[in-house]
Amino acid sequence: MRLPLIAFLLAAVIPVFFGKIRSAPFWLCLQAIAIGWNGVAHSEGLSIHALVALLDVIVVRALIAPLLLRRAIHLRGDANLDLMPSNLFTWVIGIALIVLAFDFGGAAMADVQALALGVVGAMVAIALLLLSTNNSPPAQLVAVLFMENAIAVFESLLPEPWPLPVHGALTAVYLLTVGVGGWLVGTPAAADKASAAPSQGETP
Amino acid sequence: MSKANAAVITPACPAAGRAAPAAARHAWVGPTLVLLALVNLLSCIVVFVRTPLTALPLYFVERYFVLDATSLLFLLVINAVFLGISVYMSSRVGTSPVLARNMLPRAALSLAFMVAMNLGVMSNNLLLLWAFIELTTLCAAPLVAQGDALAPRRVAWHYLLYSSMSLALTFLGFMCLTRSAQLQGLEVSFAVDQLAATLSTSGDSWQRLGLALMLFGLGSKLGLAPLYGWMPETYEAAPTSTSALLAAVQFNISVVAVFRLLQVFRLRDTSFVSHELLIMGCLSLIVAAVQVMAARNYKRLIAYACVSSSGVIAIGLSVGKAAAYGVVLYIVSNAFVKALLFLTAGRLRAVYGTNAVSALSGVIRVLPFSGLMFAVGTFALLGFPPFGSFIAEMLILSGIVQSGNLIAFTLMCAMLTIIFVATGRSIFPMLWGPSERQGPAIHESWVTALPKLGFVSVLVLLGVYTPAPISELLVLVARSIGGQ
Repeated sequence: MRLPLIAFLLAAVIPVFFGKIRSAPFWLCLQAIAIGWNGVAHSEGLSIHALVALLDVIVVRALIAPLLLRRAIHLRGDANLDLMPSNLFTWVIGIALIVLAFDFGGAAMADVQALALGVVGAMVAIALLLLSTNNSPPAQLVAVLFMENAIAVFESLLPEPWPLPVHGALTAVYLLTVGVGGWLVGTPAAADKASAAPSQGETP
Repeated sequence: MSKANAAVITPACPAAGRAAPAAARHAWVGPTLVLLALVNLLSCIVVFVRTPLTALPLYFVERYFVLDATSLLFLLVINAVFLGISVYMSSRVGTSPVLARNMLPRAALSLAFMVAMNLGVMSNNLLLLWAFIELTTLCAAPLVAQGDALAPRRVAWHYLLYSSMSLALTFLGFMCLTRSAQLQGLEVSFAVDQLAATLSTSGDSWQRLGLALMLFGLGSKLGLAPLYGWMPETYEAAPTSTSALLAAVQFNISVVAVFRLLQVFRLRDTSFVSHELLIMGCLSLIVAAVQVMAARNYKRLIAYACVSSSGVIAIGLSVGKAAAYGVVLYIVSNAFVKALLFLTAGRLRAVYGTNAVSALSGVIRVLPFSGLMFAVGTFALLGFPPFGSFIAEMLILSGIVQSGNLIAFTLMCAMLTIIFVATGRSIFPMLWGPSERQGPAIHESWVTALPKLGFVSVLVLLGVYTPAPISELLVLVARSIGGQ
């Protein structure tokens, strides 16, 4: 149960420190695989719920979302920017936030739930750091998706998995976030300005 | 006024010719939207009339949804406001080419938004409620992107980003509650009616942190300082019908979420929550007062007034007890005030083609009905009699005095006075100043006027005579959040 969580954390931390925006869909896919692995390790036996959850992870998080994100990144044209600006200041803050998140979660290695808490806390802190250091919309979308993946990991903290309706609603939120976000982010700034209807009195 | 005269005066009218073919193509969309909104509201009214309040709460769909006083009240409010907005949208199709062209996706998104709103308001599970709040944002973001700001998609993206961020903070709060339950050896359940039983009564630091994070996250969805920045930007850039939808409808789902939290934690020590709400409320009032003084754009001015309203609500909630009824009344009144103001602002925007206050003067002579409605809306917003917001503000202020918090009382009075003076300085010359426009006054069709008149009637009714069943419902909701 520890390995998938560590794999998930690595798939989130490595691109933030070393990755370009264009590589984000790949890391998102890896995170989804880690979530799926964690889910399988967490479930007791094969149930309908476990199958549906696995299908959600494979189809939505590992396949559709990275593809939609890749499309948005290419349309926008910021693909070669760093996901997080690579300078000593942001690196120190990033590392400090991860350490703090684990410290906050208690002795992280003491039990799996504390580790999961540390991972989720670190992910959210890193996503917030990304949002505060990079004003490129695709990087911001990546940060939002990282946060939503952290929310998916949160399920492993619970004694019982989420009921299917909750699972369905959260999957819909994730899919729509990448869909709507990708559509909004995928428009280059110049085209966005041109799309505004300047004609008077036409927008009620 | 004849159509020929209108063509001379309003810049929107050349657009009317261009709107005609597009409007004709989707002529069925507007009436269908109105019909669906009407059916939904009538269903809510029938449920309200036929269900005795003593029979509440009623659970359905395996207890995922609940019909209690809170959900019933907000279902009535949001569906009544949505009916008004849909009538407005339908009536504007003929004169707005942009709306005529986009009416089908806009109506579809508005309906999807309302489905998520209705389900969210009735949700008996905090995780589901969280998901529905996010879904309403995801439905509203494409609507915001249809505005005529300089970069509408950028604004819509900021709106989505802020929302995701604040809801992520709320989710962190859920996580802390889970950890608290685990450390106490309890199994957490996020069903609203069971959550209280699965949390320790002593309230450890994880539980406090969780509650604080949840309120902070939801507070930013309400437009409370410090995370209020999305609100003025979005309300200004979005089409006015969307601004009304966000301010008067979506606002309420976040209110319901806050109410649910207060209902769960009612019997616990929540003094720190009161302090958090009080600080956020006072900060919001100060921010709104400063920004209203600086605002030179009437849509932005309404948006900052919404920030101040959120501040009043937060202060009222922090006091609880005696102020609770006033808070509930204030929230209900505000939904109608905001809808009235934004829809009237849409009419001003359509005629004058700008949101700048300086470009408008003597509105009451050019657009007598819209000018009057804007004046009425402004007075209701500022808490003047005979509107519901007046009584609500008085009850909140009296609750604050009863709680002995004279600093909050003084600050609230001072900030509301500043907001009143600053709003009056901008709005009154705009309405009653000398008009530079020539020609006779422009009159509105009865269809466009109908929703605004409906909103004003509700506001006056809430202030003068609240029918007993509605009053009873308000009292029940107030009691559920700790009211006396």
